[in-house]
Amino acid sequence: MFFQQIINGLILGGVYALIALGYTMVYGILQLINFAHGEIYMIGAYMGIIFLAFFTAAGITEQSLALSLLLAFVLSISFTSAYGYTVEKIAYRPLRGAKRLSPLISAIGMSIFLQNYAMLTQGATDKVFPDIMGAAGVDFLGIKITYMQIFIIVVSSAIMVLLHLFIKRTTMGMAMRATAQDKTMASLVGININQVISVTFVIGSALAAVAGIMIAMYYGVVNYFIGYTAGIKAFTAAVLGGIGSIPGAMFGGLILGIVESLGASYISSEYKDAYAFALLIVILLLKPEGLFGGSGEGKV
Amino acid sequence: MKRLLVILFAFALLFGCEQKKDVIKIGVAGPMTGPQAKMGEDFKNAVQLAVEEWNQAGGLLGKKIEIIVGDDQADPKQAVSVANKFVIEGAAGILGHFNSSCSIPASDVYNRAGIPMITPASTNPVLTERGYKNVFRVCGRDDQQGYVAAKFVIDNLRLKKAAVLHDKTTYGQGLADEFKKSLGDAVDVVYYGGVSIGEKDFRTVLTTIKTKRPELLYFGGIYPEAGMLVKQAREIGLDAKFMSGDGAIDPLFIQIAGKASEGAYFTFSPDPEHIPSARSFIEKYKKRFGELGPYSIYAYDAANILFAAIKEANTTDGKIISERLHSMTFSGALGAISFDEKGDVAKSPYIVWTAKDGKFVEFWRP
Amino acid sequence: MEKYLRFIAAPALLSLLFLPFGGLKRAVALFGFLAILIPALKGLFRYLIKHKERFIFKMPQIDKKIILIPILLLSFSLPFAAKDYIVDIAILTCIYIILAQGLNIIVGFTGLLNLGFAAYYAIGAYTYAILTARLGFDFWTALPFSLALSALSGLLLAIPALRLRGDYFAIVTLGFGEIVHLILNNWDSLTYGPNGISGIAAPSVMGISFESLNYYYYFVLVITIVALIIINNVHSSNIGRAWISIREDEIASSSMGINTMSYKLYSSAFGAFWAGLAGVLFAAKMKFISPESFTFMESVLILCMVILGGIGSIAGVTIGAAVLVVLPELLREVQHYRMILLGAGLIALMIFRPQGILGGRGVSLRG
Repeated sequence: MFFQQIINGLILGGVYALIALGYTMVYGILQLINFAHGEIYMIGAYMGIIFLAFFTAAGITEQSLALSLLLAFVLSISFTSAYGYTVEKIAYRPLRGAKRLSPLISAIGMSIFLQNYAMLTQGATDKVFPDIMGAAGVDFLGIKITYMQIFIIVVSSAIMVLLHLFIKRTTMGMAMRATAQDKTMASLVGININQVISVTFVIGSALAAVAGIMIAMYYGVVNYFIGYTAGIKAFTAAVLGGIGSIPGAMFGGLILGIVESLGASYISSEYKDAYAFALLIVILLLKPEGLFGGSGEGKV
Repeated sequence: MKRLLVILFAFALLFGCEQKKDVIKIGVAGPMTGPQAKMGEDFKNAVQLAVEEWNQAGGLLGKKIEIIVGDDQADPKQAVSVANKFVIEGAAGILGHFNSSCSIPASDVYNRAGIPMITPASTNPVLTERGYKNVFRVCGRDDQQGYVAAKFVIDNLRLKKAAVLHDKTTYGQGLADEFKKSLGDAVDVVYYGGVSIGEKDFRTVLTTIKTKRPELLYFGGIYPEAGMLVKQAREIGLDAKFMSGDGAIDPLFIQIAGKASEGAYFTFSPDPEHIPSARSFIEKYKKRFGELGPYSIYAYDAANILFAAIKEANTTDGKIISERLHSMTFSGALGAISFDEKGDVAKSPYIVWTAKDGKFVEFWRP
Repeated sequence: MEKYLRFIAAPALLSLLFLPFGGLKRAVALFGFLAILIPALKGLFRYLIKHKERFIFKMPQIDKKIILIPILLLSFSLPFAAKDYIVDIAILTCIYIILAQGLNIIVGFTGLLNLGFAAYYAIGAYTYAILTARLGFDFWTALPFSLALSALSGLLLAIPALRLRGDYFAIVTLGFGEIVHLILNNWDSLTYGPNGISGIAAPSVMGISFESLNYYYYFVLVITIVALIIINNVHSSNIGRAWISIREDEIASSSMGINTMSYKLYSSAFGAFWAGLAGVLFAAKMKFISPESFTFMESVLILCMVILGGIGSIAGVTIGAAVLVVLPELLREVQHYRMILLGAGLIALMIFRPQGILGGRGVSLRG
């Protein structure tokens, strides 16, 4: 049972990590807690359902499930990224240089807006994601892992590796790191700060969209308030790992997922959500910069 | 200063003398928005139908019936403020609320104000166990429901080990407790615990349950959690039979659970399509609003009983209406209905349904 | 050509985003709507900025009494003039004024961003509910316990949290708020979980019960006025000035000999005290409470009241609370759109008037 719970935790953690990356990248560059990020994840999940339903209606799913899924993924990710880009432009860019509190409140406003936007356009009842992969899976030393779980683990790891390479190897990644270090200096050496910020939001939203679609497939149910809890948990994961640190967000997510899973099975399942916050408070009190924070290296 | 006071008192007189329209106001309360909005909608539609019929036939006590809709969002706090609002607006009777967790605190408010309330769907026993003379329900009770479920498990399925879960609401936990109580010594309850509404990941708790090897997984709660529970149970390889109550029997349950929904059992009232007296209502409802909700017919009967009682009482005095409701027998779409001392319907309506080929069908009668 | 493209770029992007959610027909409609609205707003703005001086008028210095006396008179005569429904809303307004003032002490005076303020409100309300409904206390014996417990929780949480800098304080308070909500939801034997506690006692004075709506309104109104007077006095006392100096520059004020840590603790406890009082009044009014009333959204709503009115301004926060209670009631007709309007309104407020209705001088926040 212990290992089964670890697997359960790893899946949750992988998804938290994907969302946490968006928080951490934005915080690294703007020192802003992007409260609307959880909502972007929710939008991503809805996009997945909407596009898949569209392709099913168009008859593509019938011919090739893989093609239909791929198209749904690509379109959902593009649209969700566009949402992230627009959110930044509307709610945060006009507040660049404003006092600390203003963008935070604006972010909370955006979060409320997007949540109710989804509710008004998509309805308040749960939307069901068609069950594609079923309960089939592999048995491994008494642990059952479904194909869907394998899919989530593979996709999230691949994406994290790609992101790492992007940040370390590309010019844009370098520009992002430079901006995170010092915005003024970065702009002096010719980096277009606005462009860097937009790219950060687009990447963060794309990751959240992937997380959203995978979670929609995994649980089969989406509603307009999934963004709130997931957002807060992912944010906790980002702080846990050291906000601003990319490896921190990845490990923070995984640790959080495992802690929740083990806590729910060995202590009490009713306080499942409380473990995350208790852990957060303990970490902040003992090591406020988080597990991976403070070193500066790897920061975005 | 004095002049100001004079102006204020003039205002007071103006407001005080505001003309009242000559209608009988009936409060309809349920989850009109939020995740359970569909239930509220079905409920409101059925009441609407009853009201139109009465108004076409000349209204009530020579006045038109007017419904005021209160949205409690399935949230106890909203339910109490809706109840307060109804009392302030002078409702003659209340139809609702929908969820037990809303009906119970709201009934305190109606009881203080002496307004009769009839709920079409709140099944928790506590609602009618507090000696309130103004509280009625046309649906069954969870102790009856839990009893039927337990009897089915013992007599028909002949299982020995069960895990019992609930969603921690008044309804869900109440039902799970009644079920557990009725199992007695015949079945060993190897796990008992709660999950949160809105939660999506039940794998951790299910993994724990799996190690106890139960033959039955019973859930007291409503369809979204029920659907995900059974789906995830199958995914982690927990093959125990699944059983739940009337809150889970909704087409969305099958959509959410997919193939995993096959063979799930539910306690619910018999199919109204088989009741002759319900036929005309069902036809009218379908023509107007489409498919029936699970509680539409109860809402329709609740409305008709309330109006009939007001008519017989020949007053809008809540106390007299409540007395009439206790003593009268009404023949509605569900058949003859009369209330016992507590305000419950006399006979237990529950039978067992199952999900088969993506549809709910009647399965077993106690 | 490029100019024309720029002209439709924003409406095109927004309606494209809307397309999957709203469908083709509504997206096209939105495009048409925005293609007219956005340029019109832009034009209006340009006009307003160009002729700025014509629209800026200085608030005339009015004697405070001229504003205060009519408001007081109106409040006291309200039950004579208005329907019960309005009195009901007025009671709620008073409760939120006390709440918002409590948060204003922490956020506005001292500059600590607290995102879990509903927790103190919950602790006050639940202590009162448990003492009266389950242990049979009456209003006046339960009240001191409830107030003490919420003030104490404000103090105890602040001790560890205040060691943190920046946004971390905000995050820890948010976590604390969530944990309190989860405990209320799960400690069934004490709080009855999500089902809430009913049968909460109403206050009475010398045998006269304040249960009836109008009596209760006067009861709450008097308490609100007393609370505002006390908070105003504390604000202009030594303690209040110490708080403001910490808000403006913590290092400077500590080098002036102010023990910043203990003043921050006072601030947190004092703010939590008022939240507890509001909680008691709320529980006694509703006679029923459940964890749903004390979520993160509630903390956000209270924060919005403070921000809308003007951080740090007692009069402003009072107005902010009143607006945010009354406005949703006026918008009942469009109640589905209430929350979405609140969200959009917050963004617009931050862009166009971040200091709120009455906030004057720049208030810096460090958390």
